[in-house]
Amino acid sequence: MSGVSEGTVAAPAAAVPPAARTRGLRKVYRGTVAVDSVDLEVPTGAVLGMLGPNGSGKTTTIRMLLGLVTPTAGEVELLGQKMPDGAALALPEVGALVEGPGFHPFLSGRENLMRVAAAEPLLASARIPGAVADALERVGLTRAAGRRYRGYSLGMKQRLGLASALLVPRRFVILDEPTNGLDPAGTREVRAVIADLHAAGTTVLVSSHLLAEVEATCTHVAVLNQGTVVAQGELAALLEAGSANLLVTTPEVTRAVEALRDHRIPARAVPDGLRVDLTATTAPQVVETLVHAGVPVHEVRRQRTGLEDLFARLTEDTNVIEDAALDDLATLIPEDAR
Amino acid sequence: MTAMTVPAPLTARRAPLPRLMRSELRMMLRRPRTLIGLGLLALVPVVAGIGIAIATDANSDEPMGQGLETLVAGNGLLLPVFALVVSLNMLLPLTGAMLAADALAGETAHGTLRNLLTAPVGRARLLAVKAFGVATVSLLATLLMAVTGTIAGILLLGGEGMLTSSGTQLPFLDGVGRVLLTVVLVTVQVWALAAVALAVSAWTEHPLIVVVVSLGLVIVSGVLSVIPALDWLDPVLITTSWQSVSDVVRDPLPTGSITEGLLRAACYIVIGYSLALSRILTRDG
Repeated sequence: MSGVSEGTVAAPAAAVPPAARTRGLRKVYRGTVAVDSVDLEVPTGAVLGMLGPNGSGKTTTIRMLLGLVTPTAGEVELLGQKMPDGAALALPEVGALVEGPGFHPFLSGRENLMRVAAAEPLLASARIPGAVADALERVGLTRAAGRRYRGYSLGMKQRLGLASALLVPRRFVILDEPTNGLDPAGTREVRAVIADLHAAGTTVLVSSHLLAEVEATCTHVAVLNQGTVVAQGELAALLEAGSANLLVTTPEVTRAVEALRDHRIPARAVPDGLRVDLTATTAPQVVETLVHAGVPVHEVRRQRTGLEDLFARLTEDTNVIEDAALDDLATLIPEDAR
Repeated sequence: MTAMTVPAPLTARRAPLPRLMRSELRMMLRRPRTLIGLGLLALVPVVAGIGIAIATDANSDEPMGQGLETLVAGNGLLLPVFALVVSLNMLLPLTGAMLAADALAGETAHGTLRNLLTAPVGRARLLAVKAFGVATVSLLATLLMAVTGTIAGILLLGGEGMLTSSGTQLPFLDGVGRVLLTVVLVTVQVWALAAVALAVSAWTEHPLIVVVVSLGLVIVSGVLSVIPALDWLDPVLITTSWQSVSDVVRDPLPTGSITEGLLRAACYIVIGYSLALSRILTRDG
């Protein structure tokens, strides 16, 4: 456990200013500190996954980014504009789905989108019907567009919220828990939408507590815990920094270990193969050595820390008590009863 | 402002105000409770007209008493005036409070307000659009009552002209003019209450609180105005000019009390919208 630690991982120096940046952001609600000293940076063109347990300040941070909430202290910059004063400049270019979808229950999905579209500064009146139809098509709601929002399922509501964020081509799209209530197919579609946005050069900020989702779609990660950013940076760099191991699957473990030791490469036997320490060598060298030694290699893969491990480590403070309680419980239950 | 190297400079653009207003009105007029409310209000003069027609038929031999109800009989144009004046006591304030409650508190509760705020619709513009919506639908309600009242009055009670409470008879067109004047006076009073309700609406996310506070204000004002020891309060009570709206059927028109009523309402409108604006500019959405 070294390399990445609490604090920030420097992102590569960007030529363009970040899509969003906060400095020393703090929000206190009636004596409760929701967010404290958040220094977040969303690089332009990135897909940044904002991770954190419930109540870690993800939504509050997003609300301050959008100028919905005035920070108690600190600064927010959105597309280079200071928020909330620069809202009129920055927000037309920003699409947002915050705190779940919010629509009128007595209007149909299409009528609700028409209403949102009427408020969009970048949408000419003549283009509204087309933009609404396109957005509905994009989230797969065309067939249900005429039905009242009241009768929508949770997943359909979520899709409509996504559609309202996609009404206009944006520079920056902020999605707060976009896959809430979606079935696996819906989750895949959201991933596809995010990938499309990324391909089109749109910066995306997606908050989630689903680690697999973030790992699959994001280029960057920011982890929040108890109102502060505990780690942020490129996803690959964050994951890489935690481990430098190569897992080799081979039936001839002993020969493999000996061959590697002859080349002063430390390796250890594990079930089904061996784990090779890569601190002093590279993966191709390891494979070359093994093949030259005549060891049959079935599979070689880099051992990743996995976002789950990283997340658990960064946010474990809050879970220590729960884990301890579980351990206590485990010792109380007799072996044969488990 | 910092130098930017983003692809293209940002421009502050805003959605056209008429488009926002149309959208607001369309939404309000699709809301089931608005439509039901308007429908019921439109029925008020019809029901009153039927009641009066039956009552005057049954008692046609008896001498007429005093008051607006007896004057209505045979004077169809007085029916819309009567219906509007009576409704101003409770039904129309309730309607105004309900519209204002849905406008901000209701939209906050549904999470639809932040769609507008992040579009973005500037906060002051948002209040202007909301005020426009509430004012227009309130006007629609009183106009609707005037129309159904006039039709019902002419059909049920007959209408050659308008008998004023001063005993004179106005020709038909002058009578219609008095009905329209009633619409204006009643509407402005409803706007005054709606302005206060909108201020409350900007403060809370519970529409029920808006309705309760607004009707509470009406009831408390009414109670205070009948306590003789508190007569000195009357000039500032919102309900003070509501009683004098029936002055429109006097001849000649008492311009003094009418102007006073309009000014009092204007004060409430200014205060209400100032409070609403100061709140909406600073609130967390």
